[in-house]
Amino acid sequence: MKPIAIRSGSAASWAIRLVCAAILVYLAFWIPTSASNGVIDTCITALTLMAAAMALNLLLGYTGQISIGHSAFFGIGAYTTGILVSRYGWSPFQTFAVAFIVAFVVGALVSLPALRIKGVYLALVTLALALVFPQMMKWPKLVWLTGGARGLDNTGFKFTKQNPTYEIFGWNPWGSLRGENVKPFHYWIAMVIVVIVYLACRGVVKSRAGRSLVAIRDNETAAAVMGVNLASTKALAFGLSAALCSLPGCLSAIRTGNVTPDSTNLTVQGSITFLIVMVVGGAGSLWGPIIGSVLFVFITERTGDWSDPDAIPGVLRPFFSWSNTPPGTGIFSIILIVLMFVAPFGIVGMWRRFQARFVTVVPRPAGTGTIVEPVAAPAEA
Amino acid sequence: MKRVSSARLLAALVAGSFLVAACSSDGSSSTDTAADTTTADTSGSETTADGTDTTAVETTVAGSDAWAVNTDDCIDPAAAEAPIEGTIKIGSAMPLTGGVAAAAFAPVKGGFEAYIKYANDNKLLGDLTIEATIEDDQYNKDLTPGAISKQIDAGVNLFSGIIGSPNNAAVRDTLNEECIPQLNALTGSPAWGDVENYPWTTGILVPYNVESRVYAKQLAELYPDGAKVALFYVNNEFGQVYADAFKELAPDFNLEIVDEQTIEATDAAPPTAQITSIADKKPDVVMAVPLGAGCIGFLTELAAKKAQNTGWTPATFITNTCASSLILGAAGPAADGLYTSGNLKDVTAPSNAADPAVKEYLDFMNAEGLGEIAATAAAGWTTAEVTIAMIKQAMESPDGLSRASIINAARNFTYTPSLARDGVVDTMNGADDPFLAESLQVLQYAQPTATFTDIGSLITEFETK
Repeated sequence: MKPIAIRSGSAASWAIRLVCAAILVYLAFWIPTSASNGVIDTCITALTLMAAAMALNLLLGYTGQISIGHSAFFGIGAYTTGILVSRYGWSPFQTFAVAFIVAFVVGALVSLPALRIKGVYLALVTLALALVFPQMMKWPKLVWLTGGARGLDNTGFKFTKQNPTYEIFGWNPWGSLRGENVKPFHYWIAMVIVVIVYLACRGVVKSRAGRSLVAIRDNETAAAVMGVNLASTKALAFGLSAALCSLPGCLSAIRTGNVTPDSTNLTVQGSITFLIVMVVGGAGSLWGPIIGSVLFVFITERTGDWSDPDAIPGVLRPFFSWSNTPPGTGIFSIILIVLMFVAPFGIVGMWRRFQARFVTVVPRPAGTGTIVEPVAAPAEA
Repeated sequence: MKRVSSARLLAALVAGSFLVAACSSDGSSSTDTAADTTTADTSGSETTADGTDTTAVETTVAGSDAWAVNTDDCIDPAAAEAPIEGTIKIGSAMPLTGGVAAAAFAPVKGGFEAYIKYANDNKLLGDLTIEATIEDDQYNKDLTPGAISKQIDAGVNLFSGIIGSPNNAAVRDTLNEECIPQLNALTGSPAWGDVENYPWTTGILVPYNVESRVYAKQLAELYPDGAKVALFYVNNEFGQVYADAFKELAPDFNLEIVDEQTIEATDAAPPTAQITSIADKKPDVVMAVPLGAGCIGFLTELAAKKAQNTGWTPATFITNTCASSLILGAAGPAADGLYTSGNLKDVTAPSNAADPAVKEYLDFMNAEGLGEIAATAAAGWTTAEVTIAMIKQAMESPDGLSRASIINAARNFTYTPSLARDGVVDTMNGADDPFLAESLQVLQYAQPTATFTDIGSLITEFETK
């Protein structure tokens, strides 16, 4: 069967985009208004992971710089919020900008070695960052600020049921923003963070800077020859990726109301989770981390009670009933290994291959954008 | 795309290691999170007796002047006071996967579930059926809210035995806003005594600062002229609270801290450098706060260093998180003579074999195929037992069984768990006594017989009056 060709920018192309966008917007509003608390919490977890993986994708997927240190940037966000809220009484909202700037600066500084080293050596430098960060937070000389190994408490919003809810003609599209139930409020913070991170990544990727990043990833020498400033582009990518990764860290501090240096997302395990989620979804694709994180959280949630053999669906019971612990992590690991063989570009890459059998999107030829009519020369008097 | 490919290779390798870790997470290493008990003044309470099998249930019914929760602060006051009938659902979140923590705490889940089955089998709550669900939060505080919300959606009436200080802290706002009891948090953080701000949250372990005080008192008795002490602790929230409390108390008990060494909870290597540093200072006492397998590594390394330094024989104090016959047995002769504490009976001790409660516990665990973890599952068993006793007290209250009556019962509570040492009584008394367990017995371990010997009598003087 010959695939249907849809021209990019055509009415059909826009219709498909609008339908997809409408579904996503509907889901985004349906979750806080109609879903259960458990689903909302699961979504917040997925959105947190999504934002962190998208930030990493900007660096690894598009620029080709391996980082196993993004847990540190996540931690910078968490600690910035934690310190400013619990020690100095700031509003949690005010802390996002500070965390962004701090993480950007640290990320840009960490990128300096990246100007000279590549591949596994760079991975080792960032691994060191991931290992050092929790230790730094525990450093006795910083206890006055970070709380040491005990961490920080009271880092979130404090709500009461007297807080207002917001309605439009009797309908509350935001869920219960405050008071009645704090979860929709956290959900919307997470959603806004994901949208910001997505738009930032998309803006960079679709711009001249984005093409420079891809050029650096594919052939550094050729990129330099073409006039790409390697040093500043790499530093910018590292800094921006770090800054974006700090935002879900801020959310983590707000959501759980405490920050501790041994939290999973602040340790190497967090970095590895971001990496795996991104690769499974599809590195170098804007939608890859989104798909990967949804799948990761879905599997973890669905298998959460599989330590009880009766909770395992019948067909799968023989495979997992031998274990008395939930097999979510193991299942995800198997998926990753299988994907590396059958779909090295992740789920998004696999989907594109599958979709290409039925529908192909024909890009608009270069130079076919809006034509600006030349201004006629004024008639001579 | 070369670098992206290497990223995939890296991710695949990491995933492989995750897979191996996940498949091997049924490890048998264990940490005894000894559930603890207290003795207290119970004036103002009316006592009712219950002769249910081994559970020497002696619960209290709160008097008219007893502490009572204010449900006006609840999101839905009616739901908090609605009667619970037919089935009561208990929820919890524990690390069931995620490596070291999962392996260490797995027996707690086994013990907890075993007691729930025992309670149902023996109809300890009459016709009320008890359902318990334990979700996996991987010891990751970011996953605890999701695990708890899922259970709230499923209609859980109360939570009990959530493990980890950050994990409990991550959900206490939600549970206090929703007015769902968060009972018997399995951590010794002093934070669980905040009745004013978190009336629906209670802990079950002896607060870590109280345990530190017990050791300091014992040291003062052993060394009336003062002693040089070296501190060794795990570098996380748990170890830090202990260490801070001990350092604060030391001057009061004429103890001089001459060295302070730490180890990361995830470190698998023995703490050679740390113990060498301690040995160089030749302290009279080594006060240690390790966790899980770290207990074995510390004891083994200390024994080796003592052998190298003839004449240096410091007294070793180790927290009761290590006071499990499983852990100390694995440490071998290195564990001989150490001091620790506890308030549960050692279920593996031959001297306790004839104890009816211990016998029934072991018989039940063996019948359930959980005999191997019986020594370390006692904490989970006791947590569930105390929870059921609180529910029972709420059922017998004039208000009948509801979420509000459960927290009222918990905060006006006197009870002796079946596996508790003689003389131990769990007590909470509103804001006046917000901690359930504050008394401990100092013990000394004898490696040849693998038994604990009582040192002095049960210390109850730190119980809040």
